[in-house]
Amino acid sequence: MQQFFQKGLKNYVPEHVQPSVSDHSELKSSIDAANLTDMWDMILTLDYGVSGVEDLPYEKRDEFLNVMSLLLKAFDK
Amino acid sequence: MLIRSETLFTELGTQAIESGLADTTLSTFYETVMAQDTDGNFQQRLKPFMPQLSLCSDKMINGAPPPIFYVGQDSCQRSLFGEDWASPESPVSPLRTPDPDLELASAEGYRNALNGKPYYGYARVQVDVNGIGYEVAFERLILTVRPSLKSTTRFCAFFGVIQDLQRTF
Repeated sequence: MQQFFQKGLKNYVPEHVQPSVSDHSELKSSIDAANLTDMWDMILTLDYGVSGVEDLPYEKRDEFLNVMSLLLKAFDK
Repeated sequence: MLIRSETLFTELGTQAIESGLADTTLSTFYETVMAQDTDGNFQQRLKPFMPQLSLCSDKMINGAPPPIFYVGQDSCQRSLFGEDWASPESPVSPLRTPDPDLELASAEGYRNALNGKPYYGYARVQVDVNGIGYEVAFERLILTVRPSLKSTTRFCAFFGVIQDLQRTF
C-alpha cells in the first residue's frame, strides 16, 4: 500500500507550484507564425537539453516559455 | 540609473581578438562562430557558450539596440543587472538594458554587427543598479548569427566579459 502511494505521489505537483503558463500551444502557434520555430528549437535543445517542452520539469517549462514570450516580442515588427 | 560623463565605448576591432588580446573564452567563441560550418553542426558548437551569451533580435527601431530575449545563466548582463531583470516572471515587454543612456551608447556595436561587421570593443561606464553605484569595465563581442544554415532568421549574440567592477560612493 505504501509503495502504491509513493508511486502515485511521484508525479504529483502541488497546485501552488504549477506554472502559470501550462498550455503552450497558443504561444507555439505564434512562434511558428512569426517564422521563429528555428529559434524555439535551438534554445530548447541547446540550453534546456530536451527536444520537447513536455520533457521539461514544470519550473523549467515556465522559464523556457517566458524566454519564448520575450523572443516573440523582440522580433515583433 | 545614471550614466555619468566618464562613459567610454571604444571599438578595438576583431583583429585585437586575432592578435590574442581578448579574453580566452571570448576568443574561442569568436573562432567558433567564424569557422566555416562544414558539417552542419553549428548549433552543437554553439552550445558550450550559451550560458555566457545574451541574445537579441535583429530589429533596431529608432536607433535603439535590438531588444533582448535571452540572458544566459552566467552572462555578464545577468550578473550586473540581476535575476529579476534577466528572467522576469511575467514578461510584458522585450528586455532592454535598464539604463536608456547606456542602451543608446551601445547601439553602434549592434548596428555594425547587423551590417555584417562583428563588433569587438571595450567599455567603461558608471551605472547605478538598484540605488548602488558601480563603475564597470567590460569587453564585448557582438555578432550576427543564424540558428541554422538554411534559416531566414538572424539574431545578435552578445558575449560580454566584465574586467573590473568597483562600487562607487
